Amino acid sequence: MAELTVVGEPSPFGVTSRKLGIWMFIVADAATFAAMLFAYGYVRVANPDWTRPFALWPTIANGIVMTVVLLTSSLTVIAAVLAAQAGRKTSALRWLGATMLLGALFAALHLREWIAMIGDGWRPFRNPLGGTPLVGATFFSVTGLHLLHVIVGVIVIGVIALGYRRGRFDPGHLEAIGLYWHFVDLVWMFVFPLVYLMNLR
Amino acid sequence: MKRYVIVWLGLLAIVALEVAVTLARPPAKLLLAGLLFFALIEAGLGLLYFMHLKYERRSFMWSVILAVVIAVVLMDHFWLDAFRLLHQRLSAP
Repeated sequence: MAELTVVGEPSPFGVTSRKLGIWMFIVADAATFAAMLFAYGYVRVANPDWTRPFALWPTIANGIVMTVVLLTSSLTVIAAVLAAQAGRKTSALRWLGATMLLGALFAALHLREWIAMIGDGWRPFRNPLGGTPLVGATFFSVTGLHLLHVIVGVIVIGVIALGYRRGRFDPGHLEAIGLYWHFVDLVWMFVFPLVYLMNLR
Repeated sequence: MKRYVIVWLGLLAIVALEVAVTLARPPAKLLLAGLLFFALIEAGLGLLYFMHLKYERRSFMWSVILAVVIAVVLMDHFWLDAFRLLHQRLSAP
């Protein structure tokens, strides 16, 4: 019986197909977030009675803590990837656990803020301060999409960590989820100044 | 790891600068320009170091960056309409 040999073409960029795949997702997702932020910019420019709802305390202060937490989680995921690439499995798993904890903390801080705003009467289509209701619509949609990415990221990191512990996944999988996590962090670097700081009372 | 800690500290410093600039209460256009400038530096540091684009092939790095830049540039066509609405001074419903 003749042996079947499958010969694939080399990657045009010298990266694995897994890494190329996650980068293609990141590029597409970056365009999605850019569209959301542009839509926010559009309605903000077009509305002369735009409300600036956020005070330094507690909203901006909470946003600063969330930013520090997310930036630190990027560092812990790098530590996990480096440990995995060096063959230090236990250390890699611990760093992944730290990343998940920080991601969960970010989500908890964000949800606490949402609950406080909803308690103050903010809704996606209602502005308790009397200005355009689009303030709530853009705030909840932009931060909601980002929060969804964080929550999904925490779950996927957990799945990858479990698979890595059982030997089903390799350091390349950790690198791929690390790229996703950095991207989520990078998006926040635009959301925090544009959605929070630009809306300081 | 030391390199990444330095980048992390740099990113934290930029966040502190963003907050400081905001609290200085500059005009809105100036604040927007400043915050976008800082955000782009943060994005650059994140992409090059945390996401390792600096260590990938140049062709890969530019393919990724240009794809996003082109998408963002294509989205710029509606600003004129936003300013048109602003000048109409439509009140909230």
